[in-house]
Amino acid sequence: MSEGTMAVVKPEMKSYIWVQTADGLIQQVEEEVAMFCPMICREVLQMGMGSSKNCAVALPQRVNPAILGLILDYCRFHQVSGHSNKERKTFDEKFVRLDTKKLCELTSAADSLQLRPLVDLTSRALARMIEGKTPEEIRETFNLPDDLTEEEKLEPLRNITDDPRIRLLNRLYARKRRELREREQLKNVEVEEEHGDERSVDDLLSFINGGNGDSKGVKGTKTKKKSRGRKDQLRGCSSINENGKHKKDSAVGTFSPKLELDDGDIDDELDPAMKEELDREVEDFARRLNCVWPERMQKILTSGQESRRRLPIPITGTGSLKRYTAKFLLLDMTCKRGPFYFVTWMMYKLICNVSKIHQFLVAEEVYFLKQVWTSDNDPVEMTDFSQPIQLE
Amino acid sequence: MPLSLSLSLSLIRASNEEEKDRRRSTNPEVSFFFVFHFWYFNLKLCMDSILGQDVISDLPQSIVETILTKIPIRDAVRTSILSSKWRYKWANLTHLVFDDRCSSLYNDKGLVEGNLVKFITRFLFLHDGPIHMFTLSSTYLQGSPYIDQWLLFLSRKDVKELVIELGDRGWFRAPTCLFSCRKLTRLELIHCELDPPPSFKGFLSLKCLVLQQVYIAPDKVENLLSSCPLLESLTLSYFDSFALSICAPNLKYLCLEGEFKDIRLENTPLLIFVSVSMYMTDDTAEHFEQSTSCNFDKFLGGVPCLQRLIGYIYFTKYLSVGNELGKLPITYSHLKIVQLYEVSFEDMKEILVVLRLILNSPILQELQISSSSNTSLATEATDLDFWENECPSDCTFRLLKSVKIADISGVPHEMEFIKFLLRNSPVLEVMSIIPSTCVTDGRINMLIELLRFRRASAEAEITFIQN
Repeated sequence: MSEGTMAVVKPEMKSYIWVQTADGLIQQVEEEVAMFCPMICREVLQMGMGSSKNCAVALPQRVNPAILGLILDYCRFHQVSGHSNKERKTFDEKFVRLDTKKLCELTSAADSLQLRPLVDLTSRALARMIEGKTPEEIRETFNLPDDLTEEEKLEPLRNITDDPRIRLLNRLYARKRRELREREQLKNVEVEEEHGDERSVDDLLSFINGGNGDSKGVKGTKTKKKSRGRKDQLRGCSSINENGKHKKDSAVGTFSPKLELDDGDIDDELDPAMKEELDREVEDFARRLNCVWPERMQKILTSGQESRRRLPIPITGTGSLKRYTAKFLLLDMTCKRGPFYFVTWMMYKLICNVSKIHQFLVAEEVYFLKQVWTSDNDPVEMTDFSQPIQLE
Repeated sequence: MPLSLSLSLSLIRASNEEEKDRRRSTNPEVSFFFVFHFWYFNLKLCMDSILGQDVISDLPQSIVETILTKIPIRDAVRTSILSSKWRYKWANLTHLVFDDRCSSLYNDKGLVEGNLVKFITRFLFLHDGPIHMFTLSSTYLQGSPYIDQWLLFLSRKDVKELVIELGDRGWFRAPTCLFSCRKLTRLELIHCELDPPPSFKGFLSLKCLVLQQVYIAPDKVENLLSSCPLLESLTLSYFDSFALSICAPNLKYLCLEGEFKDIRLENTPLLIFVSVSMYMTDDTAEHFEQSTSCNFDKFLGGVPCLQRLIGYIYFTKYLSVGNELGKLPITYSHLKIVQLYEVSFEDMKEILVVLRLILNSPILQELQISSSSNTSLATEATDLDFWENECPSDCTFRLLKSVKIADISGVPHEMEFIKFLLRNSPVLEVMSIIPSTCVTDGRINMLIELLRFRRASAEAEITFIQN
């Protein structure tokens, strides 16, 4: 190939403008591609920036170099008018196949550059990831922390789950609270109020049911760290509202008790057969819980009259009440007296460890065991409960 | 995670052993320091990769709103249980769209309606911030008293766009609080009853008004229209026997559909787009025959900026009624697209209307006409000499590029019209001819005639579309 026949190649006169990202990196980008972004366009035309390295167009905080590359790819494709609508659509669909973190960053950057079509495209992709998915799936996709309590999840709009177990729980709970309130009025015992119960009814149910693995019925209990006791629902919910708007408080407040007491509302969505079955289950359940409790309670209370210093058995904390019930039920179901108690106690500890139920205070267990172990009327000396029990 | 655990555990064990060996020689804190940092570094890595970062919760509210408006509103509310940051993100939405998807469907319509009402009421109660757009389209909700309460709530929230579309079963009467939404820029009402109170001064910011199947007195409509000075787009559908006089100085888009007795565009100088669909019954047709005023002038006499005209069934018939008052026809110097459907080529008056329109549009680019003639009736063609004698022969459609004539049956006037167009369109590119489905035999004859016509444009392509 001689020199004469070599074709003359006209160099393409592309103009470039300088842009500077938030981390200080200054680079050149093709002008017509960058002008697709309204913000850059305005900077160049109105402010006259971008012509040299010194006065580079300062891109907003949210645009880092990697994302800038993606945005420029998008602009480069779309600013060419020759593509058909179908081509553009295929390009868009391929373009948004990114991981969620990148997608969010891209949306944020496009918004700061005022590139509306790209914002719509990425928002639609994110919306597709949210629509129709369960909350767990969404949390997994976006790495959201599950830091709402069970109560907070159920209020204010009860539109989430129709699980009959939740309803069973609610109903039982309402009934229990009513009964306990009555008992409280009858007894009128001064007791120390215990530190707020860390567990809810869910744990007990799962424990009693032998950890059947009803994930729905015990939603979120395993990961919950800061769940509040259901002592005072209204107080609980109004403290969540940091804004402290009165309207919201009252709104939230009126809705949450509605949850518990509005049995009629719950019943509406069941048909009669299911309703009967659930009622029967509730009765059953309540009976199981109540079978041993009254007598035991009496004994412990009478013997505890003399030494009330460290009697932390509560009556008002309904959750802990149930906790005791469950534990003692198990213990009672096995042998009555003697060294078998130790065995069952060890088994119970084992089960606790395996099913990851929060360890109850050693002191109370010990106290109870001592109570039952020794004769019913002997007063028990309150020894130092910080040491584990020494078996005779 | 387990790997780092075991590593760090072994390290701790190792360091402990070392500690035991050299009890006083080494500083136990140093080993702890190394162990701690190793542990922390590993933990951080693992946290980032396994737990990941929650980026979406920190996006600005405008983006979150864009995302949440692209999913059904029920799902948007469900995001409140995702995490503590998402608890009230849904409550700041400004564009609300409620439809039948907000309630799960049951067979019992009353139950669905009850659920829908509950959902919307609770939503509005818990909503925080301004509401710019509110759309309610449901077939289950009728004149529920809750709708009045919602409208009252919205009127206090400075709502800007309001769309209410209700089912067919009953009539919803719009409450008077609707007329106190001062900041409305768009109002769409479908199937309801409207009665503006006497103290109503108008929507001063209203730009777009759509009234479909709305029961309202005619003079109130005119008052409403004249009291909205910024009105740019007007759509009136399914009105019965209206005599309407539109006075809207800023009106650009007009769409009329229904049985109109009389339409007068009094003051619409900026009108760009007109689409009219007239449903005529027998008595309205009679009324037309007796009318003396020229409909053409009344309707198209004051729209010099018109760019696109679409006339559906009976439009040309409506325009053809009345005598010309001898006024000089105005030139539609911006009219580019004309679409006239169901033009009867047997009625000379309608043909005159069409001609008058296109002859006064110097920059006409696209013409679509569909015919409603019957071959059986028009076997005898009268006034055929019109085309030779009276029709102006020196007109040219300088910019006419695309013509589409549909549903023709080979009626003589139709062929003459096509001939006329072909002769006077020097830049014509495509002429599509679609024969009527009723005609099967006469197509060959039509084609033969078409072949003979002289074409002024060298590039003209005649496509005969059969299906």
